Amino acid sequence: MAEFEPQIIAFCCNWCTYAAADLAGTSRVQYPANVRIVRVMCSGMVNPIYVLKAFEGGADGVLIAGCHLSDCHYIDGPTKCDAAVDKMRRMLHVLGIEDGRLRREMVAASEGVFFAKVIREMVEELKKLGPSPFKAKMEAPA
Amino acid sequence: MEEIRTGVYICHCGLNIAGTVNVDEVAKYVGTLPDVVISRNYRYMCSDPGQDLIKKDIKQLNLNRIVVASCSPRMHELTFRKTVETGGLNPYLYEHANIREHCSWVHSDRKLATNKAKDLLRAAVMRVRHHEPLVVREVPLNPNVLIIGGGIAGMQAALDIANGHQQVYLVEREPSIGGRMAQIDRTFPTLDCSECILTPKMSDTGHHPFIELLAYSEVEEVSGSIGNFKVKVRKKARYVDEIKCVGCGDCEEACPRSAPSEYEMGMATRGMAYIPFAQAIPNIATIDKREERPCKAACKEACPIHMNVLGYACLIKEGKFAEAYEVIRRTNPLPAVCGRVCYAPCQEACNRGQFDEHIAIRELKRFAADHEIKLGKAKAVPVEKTKEEPVAIVGSGPAGLACAYDLVKQGYPVTVFEAGPEAGGLLRWGIPEYRLPKEMLNNDISYIQDMGAELKTNTPVKDLAEVFDQGYKAVFLATGAGMSQRMGIPGENSQGVFHSLDFLKQVNYGVEIKVGSKLAVIGGGNAAVDAARVARRLGVEDITIVYRRSREEMPAMPSEVEEMEHEGVKIQFLAAPVRVLSDKQCVTGIECIRMEMGEPDASGRRRPVPVKGSEFTIEVDNVIMAIGQSVDKDMLPDGLTYTDWGTLSVDPITLETNVDGVFAGGDVVSGPADVIAAIAAGKRAACSIDAYLKGEQFVPEEDGKVEKLSEEEVASVKERYASQERVGISKLEPQKRVGGFEEVEQTYSPEEAREEAGRCLASLIEGCFECGECKRICEARAVDFAQTDQTIELEVGTIIVATGYDQFDPSVIPQYGYGRLENVITGLEFERLSCAAGPTEGKILLKDGRQPESVALVHCVGSRDKNYHEYCSRVCCMYALKYAHLAKELADADVYQFYIDMRCFGEGYEEFYQRCSEEGVNFIRGKVAKVTDEAITDEEKGKLIVVSEDTLLGKMVRVPVDMVVLCSALEARSDADNVARLLSINRRADGFFLERHVKLDPVATPTEGIFICGCCEAPRDIPDTVAQAEATAGKALSLISKGTVTLEAAISTVDESICHGCGRCEEICIFSAPKVADKDGKLVSSINEALCKGCGSCAVVCPTGAVSIRHFTQDEILAQVSALTEAQ
Repeated sequence: MAEFEPQIIAFCCNWCTYAAADLAGTSRVQYPANVRIVRVMCSGMVNPIYVLKAFEGGADGVLIAGCHLSDCHYIDGPTKCDAAVDKMRRMLHVLGIEDGRLRREMVAASEGVFFAKVIREMVEELKKLGPSPFKAKMEAPA
Repeated sequence: MEEIRTGVYICHCGLNIAGTVNVDEVAKYVGTLPDVVISRNYRYMCSDPGQDLIKKDIKQLNLNRIVVASCSPRMHELTFRKTVETGGLNPYLYEHANIREHCSWVHSDRKLATNKAKDLLRAAVMRVRHHEPLVVREVPLNPNVLIIGGGIAGMQAALDIANGHQQVYLVEREPSIGGRMAQIDRTFPTLDCSECILTPKMSDTGHHPFIELLAYSEVEEVSGSIGNFKVKVRKKARYVDEIKCVGCGDCEEACPRSAPSEYEMGMATRGMAYIPFAQAIPNIATIDKREERPCKAACKEACPIHMNVLGYACLIKEGKFAEAYEVIRRTNPLPAVCGRVCYAPCQEACNRGQFDEHIAIRELKRFAADHEIKLGKAKAVPVEKTKEEPVAIVGSGPAGLACAYDLVKQGYPVTVFEAGPEAGGLLRWGIPEYRLPKEMLNNDISYIQDMGAELKTNTPVKDLAEVFDQGYKAVFLATGAGMSQRMGIPGENSQGVFHSLDFLKQVNYGVEIKVGSKLAVIGGGNAAVDAARVARRLGVEDITIVYRRSREEMPAMPSEVEEMEHEGVKIQFLAAPVRVLSDKQCVTGIECIRMEMGEPDASGRRRPVPVKGSEFTIEVDNVIMAIGQSVDKDMLPDGLTYTDWGTLSVDPITLETNVDGVFAGGDVVSGPADVIAAIAAGKRAACSIDAYLKGEQFVPEEDGKVEKLSEEEVASVKERYASQERVGISKLEPQKRVGGFEEVEQTYSPEEAREEAGRCLASLIEGCFECGECKRICEARAVDFAQTDQTIELEVGTIIVATGYDQFDPSVIPQYGYGRLENVITGLEFERLSCAAGPTEGKILLKDGRQPESVALVHCVGSRDKNYHEYCSRVCCMYALKYAHLAKELADADVYQFYIDMRCFGEGYEEFYQRCSEEGVNFIRGKVAKVTDEAITDEEKGKLIVVSEDTLLGKMVRVPVDMVVLCSALEARSDADNVARLLSINRRADGFFLERHVKLDPVATPTEGIFICGCCEAPRDIPDTVAQAEATAGKALSLISKGTVTLEAAISTVDESICHGCGRCEEICIFSAPKVADKDGKLVSSINEALCKGCGSCAVVCPTGAVSIRHFTQDEILAQVSALTEAQ
């Protein structure tokens, strides 16, 4: 039986976190291949519906990562994102999805190594949590 | 619905992608996806042939969507959008998948990487189907450029752009441009004098017709975006009129306060009014006023000559007594005199008096004068006679002396004519010795003579024509009011009756006067009190003052009356003499009558009225009449007109009499007044005479208002400061006093003076306290304390940041001893030492003034250090070599250079290193562990010991030296984060500003239209800084040349059919792009496309989904997410 490999959908902001992931790439920092990045212009652009869609599709974990508070290209995106993530957590709780599956991070453009660390940590966490409860629901007979 | 025809191109990127991802497999897989017409893989998609593939396919295969999977879109999304556009498609019908940075470079497992690449491509293919063509709009670019920072980087960029005939606004925070390069002495490797190569650029920048220089200004607010920035600049008040100021520096010399000079790295001081360095541009002064003083300086306004009390008080407080005396002497011709006898209206007005007790200002003035006189330092320097017209002054009392003082200072030849045997007037023969010792008076008078005023005693002047014949061009009459008034009562001419002024004169001249044992003095003014106290000292024990009004109305100084009563003199109030009784022509008594207060008389005071039948007699041996003084017309020349009160009539403004060229002032014009009023008149006459001789109209200085503190202001002073009693002065005991004429009041000790001066409210604040010395001395009349900060609004299209660096403060490394061991200094401090225009005039000196015999240079302080900055500061190896060379050249010192590496990368750098090595510098390879003054051996005593590893020898070494120079790191400015926030640019982890791409775009930032150059981006030397500055100029000029800016197309849009105008988008947007307004009767939101940045927050909060972000619509992202999770 193959070991469970969690899938992570990561919403990364163009200016900071996406750039950090790029930097991890140029620096050849290796990390698990479980993550799929969706580029957004700002972490404040992440609509709760995207997160729900990700879990609906069977993702085991979602990462929302953007700039640090004082670095946002659009000034206060991170604050707006935090407010939205609050709402998301409540929604996920209602749906029976564990809190540890949604991770909110702030990763600056120069923090390539940190980005890789976050992915590694998330993969470990999700391996412990196991497959998303949604997956079971999807596979259950209609 | 349009048929989607997608072309997909997978790049190998050589082996970068293909080495890990199976590109064939991926291409094949992609070919199976919906709407994919063609799926290719190719070695280098970004190359010309690669791009041609796409263009050909678009035409031949009628493609309407393109996907490229390669490196990061941050690298090549724009490249391929352009390719697509050239191929005939809207550039937004393109999607980019990152399978290099996010895939092949970070995953080593081929299978996993290939699977991931497939997922990413599937997501891109599913997303691109939802892309819409977007119109890319161009807007005009404002050609003005804002440059923040006026160092070499800012100036160079400014000059390049200005030479291209585009308008530059250069904002510099400091009072002058020049930056760090202005502080540097010589530059490596050529050892050019830094100022010499810098000042031509500074001058060009200051005068360029296309550069508007906003010095002493800061950027407060920036809004808008590339092509259209709106900038608010705060121009700080210098309190100096920029147009009038000529940069002479007189204000700085006159200023009584000082602060450490920022330019000299704290190794010298500057005034609160100052010009930072000689070559400053703009070459105008700045007044460093930081807060409002807590008092109104009422002292200065109340003083008839507007003495700068706060100026000399603060100098006394700091122990600078000679400077305090100098400040006093700038205004007051008779400091030792005024410090004793002035009635001090300043003290009454002192605002501190509203808080606790007024400052003992007169005592402070006296202290300063006495101190300098005692040290023998109160000696005048003769003033050069620069004017041709001699002036004659008649009368050497305070008015005449003051006029002489001010005229001599202006370079006029002055002669003072005095009818009596000695100069001084009433000061000498009216005021007794115990109040004003002759020694002190003589000092003040001889000072004026030493300045160059000629004094002719025993020379009365009665004929004005004769004076003019002798060549004098103007005359000042200051003969005073020295005639005692007669009462006109019977017996007044009896023997034993004196008139006060005659009495005092005789005593002062040492003439023996026969007095009995009982004496009465008629009158209540200072002359009466002086007469009574003098009589007491002549041995008369029973003295009564007879005064016709009450105590409150006595004109004499209350302190004098008090002392007089301590000495045993009695006072009969509300009594007046009727007749003098005598027997055989000798006085036996005076008959007096009681008075009561009636209606006010002409002077406004209530008239005393005799009470009928209340006569009484006082037995006395002598009577002294001291009821008033008047002008003795016999002393004055003929032909003058007089007022009704018998005083000389003069023009109230010019002080000129009816005779052309003849002026008058003092008691002879005002009637008996006080010393300071006479001095004020003399000073005014000097100005008036100067104007008269120049043929100009005399415009007197306007007097300010004596202001009191309001209740709130007093309350705020009480809150801020602790109450403190006035420091008292000691006086001779009454018994001791009457035995002789020794001075009654003693002066302060230096400690007491400093303490009392420390109570002055104005001196309690930091910075300029508006003492006005600069204003007085400025010939250009450029000082303006009413100035306020100005806000200037600018519109620019591009912004260049050139804010420079700060020097790392090594005091956070305690083992190096900076801040604790006085001869441990930093690089910039060494620059100031070696600079010929610096605080030591180019001599390398230790803090005690000796030259160092040995100097240690410590590399990498704060740099290449995990605890502080990991980066290398790039320039320190080179400047350390420079210091090694200079230490040898200027101080002939032994040099020990503690290095880790020698980084000599630039043009001429390695050669410079060789040259310095040949000069005999001792290189020690090792990181210095500590600098200590704890000696172990005799050789180390009194030295600084540098303890370091010597890696080449493989052991620790201790090297004793005299001076240690720490090559301190260059770090980002302490307020770099404020600047970053203001401009919406980012900083790197090391604190410097983030460039768009380290190698390929080093002067741009991720923020469009904002460029960075010089050390604000990273430590660098001057050649590289200049190159970067010119690069940013190129960037700006390129944008200006194109003239337009491409607006971001991926911005917000509103579907008005679903929008119901709730306003949540308007509320959340920080750029004010959405606005809800009535449109055809319906409230809907609309987006200002110039302001919207496409961040997406509005779409998240929109409850109906009316707002969406073009190119990042819900459909697009949901399609992408679904596609990614499809594998699950």
